[in-house]
This record gives sequence, structure tokens and C-alpha cells, in this order.
Amino acid sequence: MKDKLNGVLDWLKGKTVDYADCRFVRTESEALQVTDGIVDTMSKNVNVGVGIRVLYKGAWGFASIASTTGADIKKTANKALQIARASAMAKKEDIRLAEQDPFKDHYRSVFVKDPFAVSMHDKVGLLLEVSEKLKTDSRVKTAEASMDFYKTNKIFCSTEGAEIEQDLIESGAGFAVIAFDGGEVQKRSYPNSHGGDYATRGYEFVEEMHLLDNVDRVREEAIQLLSADDCPDTETDIIICGSQMALQVHESCGHPTELDRVLGTEISLAGGSFMELDGLNTLQYGSEIVNITADATTPGGLGTFGYDDEGVKAQRSPLVEKGLHVGYLSSRETAPVIGQRSNGTMRADGWNRIPLIRMTNINLEAGDAELDDLIADTKNGIFFDANKSWSIDDKRLNFQFGTECAWEIKDGKLGRMLKNPLYTGMTPKFWNSCDAICNEKHWHVWGVPNCGKGEPMQTAHVAHGTSPARFRKVKVGVNK
Amino acid sequence: MTGKDKLFTTFDKIVRGSKADETEIVYIGSTNGLTRYANSTIHQNVYESDAQIIIRTVVGKKVGVAVTNSMVLNDLKATLRNSLEIAKYQKDNKHFSGLPGPAEYAELDTHFQQTADYQPKDRARMIKKVFVRGNRRKFTVAGAYATGEGEIAVYNTKGVRCYQPLTSASINIIAMSDTSSGYASGLSRNVDEIDPVALADVAVEKAFRSKRPKPLKAGDYEVILEPPAVAEMMEWVNYIAFGSKSFEDKTSFVAHNLEQKVMDDSITIYDDGNDSSGIAMPFDFEGVPKQKVMLVDRGIPKGVVYDRTSANRNGVNSTGHALTAQSQGQGAFAMNLHMAPGDKTREEMIAGVERGILVTRFHYINGFIDTPKAVLTGMTRDGTFLIENGQIKRGIRNLRFTDSVLRAFSQVKGISKTRQLMPAWWDAIGCLAVPTVHLGSFKFTGTTDF
Repeated sequence: MKDKLNGVLDWLKGKTVDYADCRFVRTESEALQVTDGIVDTMSKNVNVGVGIRVLYKGAWGFASIASTTGADIKKTANKALQIARASAMAKKEDIRLAEQDPFKDHYRSVFVKDPFAVSMHDKVGLLLEVSEKLKTDSRVKTAEASMDFYKTNKIFCSTEGAEIEQDLIESGAGFAVIAFDGGEVQKRSYPNSHGGDYATRGYEFVEEMHLLDNVDRVREEAIQLLSADDCPDTETDIIICGSQMALQVHESCGHPTELDRVLGTEISLAGGSFMELDGLNTLQYGSEIVNITADATTPGGLGTFGYDDEGVKAQRSPLVEKGLHVGYLSSRETAPVIGQRSNGTMRADGWNRIPLIRMTNINLEAGDAELDDLIADTKNGIFFDANKSWSIDDKRLNFQFGTECAWEIKDGKLGRMLKNPLYTGMTPKFWNSCDAICNEKHWHVWGVPNCGKGEPMQTAHVAHGTSPARFRKVKVGVNK
Repeated sequence: MTGKDKLFTTFDKIVRGSKADETEIVYIGSTNGLTRYANSTIHQNVYESDAQIIIRTVVGKKVGVAVTNSMVLNDLKATLRNSLEIAKYQKDNKHFSGLPGPAEYAELDTHFQQTADYQPKDRARMIKKVFVRGNRRKFTVAGAYATGEGEIAVYNTKGVRCYQPLTSASINIIAMSDTSSGYASGLSRNVDEIDPVALADVAVEKAFRSKRPKPLKAGDYEVILEPPAVAEMMEWVNYIAFGSKSFEDKTSFVAHNLEQKVMDDSITIYDDGNDSSGIAMPFDFEGVPKQKVMLVDRGIPKGVVYDRTSANRNGVNSTGHALTAQSQGQGAFAMNLHMAPGDKTREEMIAGVERGILVTRFHYINGFIDTPKAVLTGMTRDGTFLIENGQIKRGIRNLRFTDSVLRAFSQVKGISKTRQLMPAWWDAIGCLAVPTVHLGSFKFTGTTDF
């Protein structure tokens, strides 16, 4: 395959392109879902193709084909060249790429148990057992459990001489229960909502979830929610669980630090960013205990890889240090705007899509608090657990999140359960109100397998290392 | 385009070797081009040629599914083997009622050669004209212009042979000044029916009129929701309420309010894949002809859409709304949504507002807050205006709304007689055909800084 890709790149060099790269991607995936004891999804998907990106006279063209024959790849390269020529008809200035060393390497993600080698019987058996145990109460309307596995082989070659092969294994699983008592309906999930938790690891990651051990608690919490009080409308101190913190970081720090958004090229769909260039090294994004890092090397993170889809080596770079905005997620095209080289965040969701700036593992670094101490230290407040809804404006300022469940905190103790909880705020004010972050013991890397961006829409696998954190005087419960 | 004859001949060869009781092959192929622009320059220009071939095999009550994107015969045979292998590991699905037999579906003209022939240079030429319209008022423009063609085929061993060629063209345009933005969009199967220059003028006018927006307190306001705003809401309402799964899970407001009045008389919502005033598609991914399904009739929820399995579970017939086999755990889904028009013009409705807000579109709506009450939240964007004494007074800063659709759509003061087609995430298979809606009360719960 490398020879085919390099052959096409040689042909493009002969056409005097400024730059070109070819990506071969083969992804094998497996999806299993059990609902109420019925296996309603059991599928295997194999997806193969080649995408070619051409920079010609300062303008981009990209074409892709679901084929790996030499003739088809060359035809596609020509198509990309023609598209670049069309782009040049409406360009303002030539695109320049930041310098990049052309690596030759083969990266393999770390795993213990190949999930594709684990028998279907074992995997489905576990899901069926979870589903059956969840259904042991008549108020359980729906019990669902799922697993997803991905095996990806990628080869990247460029006209600059890069030749990078990567093999990645990703695994995910989770379950959810919907309880209904004739009037109220409520949902609880484990280990996270929206499909569970994911990692760039093998089947050992699923085993470590101990799905069966958590069935009883999750089912009982869903039932308890049916008779819980509504979250009050008030302003109070809040403690947010780790998995919800992951989404908080995702929406209010991950997306707004994407440099393409900052420069306006995502306006047409996802919007821009309040973290503008003049705020770099001056914007007090959060309180002094807030440190947020983009780290594509975090062991097992769903945003962990060897090289991005421009051939830039995975790396760790700070976005927020002691509350100060100090960095962006960048690409070879955007990094020169801030006088830097790319920090390696360009990824495509397959051979058929161009790479975009995507989150890697955007981590809120652990603080020093113990969760129990933090609750004990909170006179009045609410503890929010597991995301249910999310919404944020197109500059990532005004956000509103709902969680599956919350508990009132009274005099330093968790009290009554609250249903349909919401909290809302403005990003910098909110992060500046953060006065405690839990320590390494509570820190976990949460995989998010469905981060949407771009046109045509692309779905990225990203992650967030987070632990529970406390925020002062936050508006809660606006669902009236 | 592969073509009907070649597809079905290939599938004949594949199933000839199938050891399954029943075999189904669904083909979804497309070639799409998309040009993206921002800061009045093209920054992304892409072409994609891909296909999904989904093979479902049935052994007794056991169902296996495997998917490939290769039409190479050996790859298809390997996919069939994978599908059968999976079926072996399956448990019996008592709700699975077998693959359907053939049924007549509507003949619809869904392919326009001028769209299929549209080239990157054609899109670039048109976008340059859009830039010129922005430059006239010193605005930059951003957006995406997409054209493509595709074909969908459903084949099974019980005689289903469905085939539909499709084209699609869509554009969105955002005009931007330092303090404001304006939005317009177009969607059609026929690229000649989209006028990017006229749409650019709409976007530019909105950006111009909303310059230097003033803050407005959150609260309960009368609103005029333009079609992009209505479509954003409807897309979420569809997701949380009109599919079979949400109905069965009891998370849908339809499940809690069947045959009870929950919205104003003027609200009628239906799904109709055969209505060419929308983006039509006459059969589903099981090859079942699409039925017109009344979802809300004059404010009263009437039901939801079904595929064969969910229909069997509920003792009804499939309405022709199946997703592809590997996604059927999500239940059936409506993709050709229509909200019935009213009898007003947009101008008449604005003239009837003493003090209220005109919303061009929403951003990042979410509907998971309290699904039985259909509570949505989201932000306004790209043109939010204060209306006073029947006239658009000025631009205002964006606002967050959090409200129940059931409550808001019970306060209808007018619906436009014209509707606009708005794209949805399911793309060329359907869309939302929606009017402008005038509501007497809508709850804004937050503000932002722009």
C-alpha cells in the first residue's frame, strides 16, 4: 500500500503541487446491543479507502475513494488536483504550512486482550446477563447494554517524505435503565451516559468496568428518581462528578481552544470561540487551580495516538495554566498564525474525510481535594452526576447542562435525591468560581466517541481526564 | 452511479451462495462534493465516493448483520459469511417477523442530472458571487455549498427489488460584521432551484439590521420563529418523540398523551416520504413503502412511526420507517417531516406583534432535559431581533430559551402559508418542511455577551 500511495505522490509532485498527502484507512468495527434480553444489534463493519489532500497554488483540494487499486487512487489524486484548482478561483491568499519533520514510523496502541479475539458468545453473554439483572423490577421499562470495538490500520504518506503506519484498538461498553411508574420516567446509566465509557485499549477495559457489580445500584437509583423532588431554582455551590466534568471541559474548553474555530473556519456549523487571539496569555479563563492540558499521549485515552493525520507526532501541550489561557489546539495551516508549529491535533474520522483540528485527550489536571472532604466542606449545595443534556452558544460562553441525577448537600452531607437537575453559567465566570478539584485518586479518563464537527459532519473519538470539582454560586434548576 | 441492473445482478450472484433462510442486501452509494468557505475565501473543498453494503441474514429467528463499503465480489461474499457467522451466535429474536415480501412503491422523480453534473468549479463560481454580495456591505461570508448524487437499493430473497436514484443540493450562508451575523439557507434535489445570490442578500440584510445588538433581559416573550428555528426544534422533537423506541420506552410525550390535546389546533405534523414538496424517498431500508403517518393532528398526538420489528412488538403494521439493519436497535425513525402551513404571511405575523422577538435560527438545541414534557433548550444565533409595534426595531444579543414545546405550541398566534425545506442530519433521504411560526409566549432563560 505504501508503494501505491508514494507512486501517486510522485505523480502529483510531477504536477508541481505545493504539497500532497495520502491516507489509507481500514477500520473494522463490531457493535453489540442488547435490549430487554433481546440482541437487537450484532454487526460487523469493514470500511476501507484512500483520501488524498492536495495543496496547489496555495489552495486545497481533497478527494477520496472506497477503493485501493492503483488506477482508482491515481484517478482520485487527479480529482483532488482539479478541486484544488477550483478552490484557487476564490482564494484570498496562499495557504502556507508550518514546518514539519517527515517521520517514518509504525505506532501500535497498547492493549492486553484483542476484543475481536474474544468470542461473541462471551460478549453477548455478559450483555444479556446485565440486561436480565436490570429487568428484575416491574418498574424497569427498558434495560439496554452495549459494546463497541474498533480496529484501525492507517498509513500516511506525504510529498515531504513522511511514511507513518498506525494500528489502533478501541473498546467501549455500558448499560442504561429506564424506569417508569405510570407517570414519571427516568434514566440511569453506567459507567457513563450516552453509551458508557470508551478507551484506546482492549477487552480488559470492559472487564475492569465490573458491569454486573453495578447493576443493582443503578437500577435502584433509576427507581428512586421516579419519586425524587425536582431540582430547585436557585443559586448555590455545586460539586460536579468526574464524567460530567468531562463534558464540561469538552464543551467549554476543548471546542473553544480549537484554533480553526478561533480563526472563523467553523462558523458555518459549530460557530466561533470567545477564546480569541488577543486573549492568549492574557485571558484569565479560570481560577488559579485550573490547569487544562491537551495530551495525545495519555495512556489508554480515547484521544491517544502516535501521529495525527498530518504526520505530526502526538504530544502534550497546555491550554490553561493556573487559570490563564496559554494555548490552542492547532494544525500545520493554523499554527503559523500564532507563531508556532502544529501541536498535532488534526484528525479525520476516516479515509473519506479531511483532517480537522480535533480534541485529543483534553484533561483537567487533578487537584488535591478528597471527595468526601469536599462534600463535608460544602454547607449548602448540589452534587450533579452523569450527563443528560448539553447546550452552549456558538462562541462557547453561555452553557446549560442537565444530569441524570443530583443530590442535595446540606451541612456537609449528601441528602435527598433530585430529578431533572440543570445548571447554567457563562464559561469564564464559571471556571473562575472553581475552588476545589479532586485528587488523582478520583481522576479518570472518560472516552467520548461521538464528538461532532465539520461539514460534511465528522465524528471524532476524544477523551477527558477529569475528577470531581466544586464551583461556587452557580445558577441551578431553570427548567420551569 | 452503479445502476439498478448491475446492483441487482451482483446481489443475485451473492445470495446464490447464501445458506441463510432469508438474505437482505441494502446498498447506499453516493458521490458528494462540498465546498466550504469562511472569511470570504474557500478553505475546504472535498469530494467523496463511498458506499455502504449492509447484508442481513436470517436463520430461523436469529439475525446477523455485516457491513462493507466494497463492491468487489470477494469482499461481498466475505461480508455474507460474516453476517451468517454472527447469526449463528445470535439469540432468537421473538419480535423479528422475517423479511418483507415485495410491495409497490411510489414512482418519484428524485434525481436531477444538472445536480449530478455540478462540478467544484461551478460551486466556486457561485460562491464568488456570494462573496461579492457580502463585500458590497463590507461583510465577510461563511458557509458550505454541497452537491451530490446517490442511489439506494434494497434487495432480498423474498423478492423485494427497490431502487431509487437521488440527488441533493444545499447551501448555507452566514454574513458577518464585527458585531452581528445573518443566516440564510437553501435545499433542493435540483441545484437549479437554489439561488445562492438571493440567499446571500437575505443573510447580508439580516447581518446589517442586527449590527451593534443591544442586550435584552431574559423572560417570557412573544416570538416569531423563522423556518430554520422551527426546523431545529422539530428535529429534536422528532428525535425524542416520533420514533418507535421513545414511544415504547415511554420517554416520548406521544406515549403519555395519545389522543389528548397538547398543542394548538393549528399544529399538524406528519411524515410523508411520498410528498415531493419535501425531499421525498418512497421506501425504507427494509424495502417497505413509506406510509403517510399523522404524528400530531390539530394539536392531538396520533402515533409514531414503525419498522417491521417494532410494529410486530406493538401489534401494528410497519409504516415504512426502518433504519438500516445494523441500526434497528434504535427503532423506526421519521425522516420526511412536514409541519402543515397556515394562512399568514411572515409580514402579517410581524405586524401583529406589539413587543416580541424574531428568531432566525437556534444553535445547539438539546431535548433530553425532560422528554415526556418535550422540554428543549438552545441559543439563538445569526439574527435575533426585537419587534415593537409590529416592526422589526433592532438587533438584540443572543438569548437562551428553555421551554416545553407542548406549552409553547399551545400558544400559536399564526403560521405562515409558505414553508421552507431545511436539511437534517439524515441528509439526502429526507428533510423538514416547516413554516414560520408565531407564538404568544416563549420562555427565554438566559443571555450571552454577543
